[in-house]
Amino acid sequence: MKPKVAFFDFASCEGCQLALLNCEDELLDILACVELVEFREAISERAVRYDIAFVEGSIHREQDLERLRDIRSRSKVLVALGACACNGNVQARSNFVAPAENYKSVYGEEERNRVQTDPDYWPLWSHTRVRAVHEVVEVDFFLRGCPMVPAEFLHLVKSLLTGRTPYFPANAVCVECKKNDNECVYDRGLACFGPIAYGGCDAVCINGGHVCDACRGLLPYANVEAHRRMLVARGVDPDGVRNRYRLHLSNDPLAQEARR
Amino acid sequence: MSSAQQTADPGLYLPRSARIEAVADLTAREKFFRLTLDRPLGHQPGQFVMVTVPGMGECAISITCGPREDNILEMVIRKAGNLTGVIHGLKAGDTLGVRGPFGRGFDLAEFHGRDVLVVAGGLGLVPLRSLLTPMIADHGRFGRITLITGARTPAETLFREELARWREKDNVEVIEMVDSTAHLPWDGRVGLVTTPIGALGLDAARTTVVLCGPPVMYKFVLLELDRHYHVPAERIFIDLERRMRCGVGKCGHCQINQAYCCQQGPVFRYSELRDFPEALA
Amino acid sequence: MNAFLASPAQVGGWLHVLARTTALLWPQPKGSRNFSFLPLAQGAPVSLDRYRPTVVPPSRHLLPADETLFTYRCEPTGEVRYQPPEAPPRQILAGVRPCDLKGIAQLDAVMADAPADPLYGARRAATAIIGVDCLAPCDSRCFCAATGSLAFRGGADLFLTPLADGVLVEVTSDRGAELLAGAGFAPCGNAAALREQAEADRPVPFGRALAASPAELPAVLRAGYRSPVYGRHGERCFSCGTCNLVCPTCYCFEVRDDLALDGAGGRRSRTWDACMIPAFAEVAGGHNFRPQVGERQRHRLKRKFEYLPDRFGTGPFCVGCGRCGRQCAADIDILVMINEIVAEQGGAA
Repeated sequence: MKPKVAFFDFASCEGCQLALLNCEDELLDILACVELVEFREAISERAVRYDIAFVEGSIHREQDLERLRDIRSRSKVLVALGACACNGNVQARSNFVAPAENYKSVYGEEERNRVQTDPDYWPLWSHTRVRAVHEVVEVDFFLRGCPMVPAEFLHLVKSLLTGRTPYFPANAVCVECKKNDNECVYDRGLACFGPIAYGGCDAVCINGGHVCDACRGLLPYANVEAHRRMLVARGVDPDGVRNRYRLHLSNDPLAQEARR
Repeated sequence: MSSAQQTADPGLYLPRSARIEAVADLTAREKFFRLTLDRPLGHQPGQFVMVTVPGMGECAISITCGPREDNILEMVIRKAGNLTGVIHGLKAGDTLGVRGPFGRGFDLAEFHGRDVLVVAGGLGLVPLRSLLTPMIADHGRFGRITLITGARTPAETLFREELARWREKDNVEVIEMVDSTAHLPWDGRVGLVTTPIGALGLDAARTTVVLCGPPVMYKFVLLELDRHYHVPAERIFIDLERRMRCGVGKCGHCQINQAYCCQQGPVFRYSELRDFPEALA
Repeated sequence: MNAFLASPAQVGGWLHVLARTTALLWPQPKGSRNFSFLPLAQGAPVSLDRYRPTVVPPSRHLLPADETLFTYRCEPTGEVRYQPPEAPPRQILAGVRPCDLKGIAQLDAVMADAPADPLYGARRAATAIIGVDCLAPCDSRCFCAATGSLAFRGGADLFLTPLADGVLVEVTSDRGAELLAGAGFAPCGNAAALREQAEADRPVPFGRALAASPAELPAVLRAGYRSPVYGRHGERCFSCGTCNLVCPTCYCFEVRDDLALDGAGGRRSRTWDACMIPAFAEVAGGHNFRPQVGERQRHRLKRKFEYLPDRFGTGPFCVGCGRCGRQCAADIDILVMINEIVAEQGGAA
């Protein structure tokens, strides 16, 4: 019997599922090996048990917690798909501001005051913190990145289908920059998170002329204090350092001091 | 560079296919495998092979049989990860890839006429069986042979029937230790592998010592040896484990200070290791 | 062997002719201030000026970042067929300076050491090298004279020396003579004198200095095994592995298997690894023999100046190119560390 595979969305842009569709050729081969039981609500028939559940997005509301726990209880393997699911991504930045303040800054004070007394909006105020999936349920594998990396997705699926444990080395983005013979971002006078960020993305941002902002999260051995000091010594103002650390790392425990 | 061209074996990284002849459970975590190769392995006691599961990977595995004329290779594999987990699922008739033998093992001739103390902690008995098997088979050529084995509990002991047969031989003593009986039947002794050493009455001048076990074991056995006897460091052999990737001195993973464990080891003299602070760290 | 004189334009034209039939890699600008050994594209300018050392050294073109060790196929009979990789394509590494020639020579020594690495051997045999002399330090990180690399010529098939009014082309192997066939350069009878004259104008000292000679360093490093220098510099180290990956003499690799989805075939490959990455010295069960960053820095430095020189007898495995310090975001410089250890040990042995 083919393994049952399901995809679930929480708070995200669904860019990871889009990245997945870009796998094209290989995706068709994989689809031939699995039974896709839930994908973007497009499939109405629901399975009781999932062999592999991919969860995309960060967790915000009370009803999200219940839904996620339900998915976990019905899944053999649960994979956090993409940066939102793995570390809360940019939306975790709202953890630094009270929900009502956030609402006000987008829709204005009058509108905020109105919805605060509107029962339809009450669920909005019940959430206390944007969370990554592993902060709510146990996660078996992380497909990091904003968006996730198709090659890693394929490696994970192939491994699981053939009874292996997928392997994602804990190497810095710098390793991939060297493999690509890239000019170091610091040589361009810019600040980069590559030395302390999880690689596996093939340094795609730097290949394309950008910098790394650690969307894949910090390495377990990240020397954050040295990195923060280095940015300051290279002329990034302390506010700028904090902002960079709040971009993708608002929920990363290793970045707690640096984003304060 | 032309010299490298002429001497390079194009198959250095290519495994040879080996067929599994027999599989036996030794403990809950360890299985015994007997394989047939396409030609005799031609190994020295203490050497290792690189074992491949195609598509899965490769890892270094100790050879547990003594040198043989036939095409047989025996190994004991602990289920510890991905690769070993899959190997545990294989059965007779399945195939594995094998490269080797690799590394520097024991030179049996150096043991002739000498008393030998072998201390094997846990899985350390697996590689040392490749040394003990030919020694016991030819025990007349050696002095007194003493083997101390250690395991955490009786459930984790290895090769007990074989040890019982060895014990019957002249001049062979086998002392089996467990850290704890764990409420299981046990006819050996309870304690650490260091416990019996002081009472052995070794003649330091006549004795060669061989150690293999978990990293934490070496320091305590060496202290105990030093306390009771003064066996010269040149006469103490230590069989070390490292994370070999290539087995042929190229990948760098098993380097201990300046030594490549896969080439200068895995069997070292203690006198060599004293220059390698990372070895017994 | 023979020598010739040519104008820079003639040399450029000749290299472009070679590049038509063989992949020819030449140091070319990449990014805002760096260089890379890139295929010489049609019409691309060929400059013999000094260049900032490339991010990745040319020796890495002999040990690619992802190299197939073998492919395999499971036959319906259950038998597994292992297939060695195809022969590597011919390539010309051109514009290689003495420090990088030394780096390649050190890799040659490592890979030829029994048992010789067949993949490296094949790639090396398929690679012609055109060296170019270095007449001024590339930048303030350079210390190639101190490591004895500046005068190194080994491994080159041809060696170019820029002169005031042209380029001296010296043939140093049969393969070099073949590459030069049909170039039509003017023969030169006093090559040695011309090169000596060009090199006599080098600044003195040439680059930075080591506080002890490479011959003395193994003893100094042994004595300073527990030096606090390693940990002190390690405090700002990210363990990212850049210093290893840009080193001309680093060659350590990791091995991985890839499997086709049908499970019936796949390949094993090796990819660059780095001893500064924490997991490098981990063994089964998770025990790590170099868990501290200072221990890993020590391992890196001792490999360059003690372990590998002792083992191969081919001089220091640091060629003085300065890449590790230049590419380190944290500015951890191997020469600074070595000199601090020498000072701490009371100067040279």
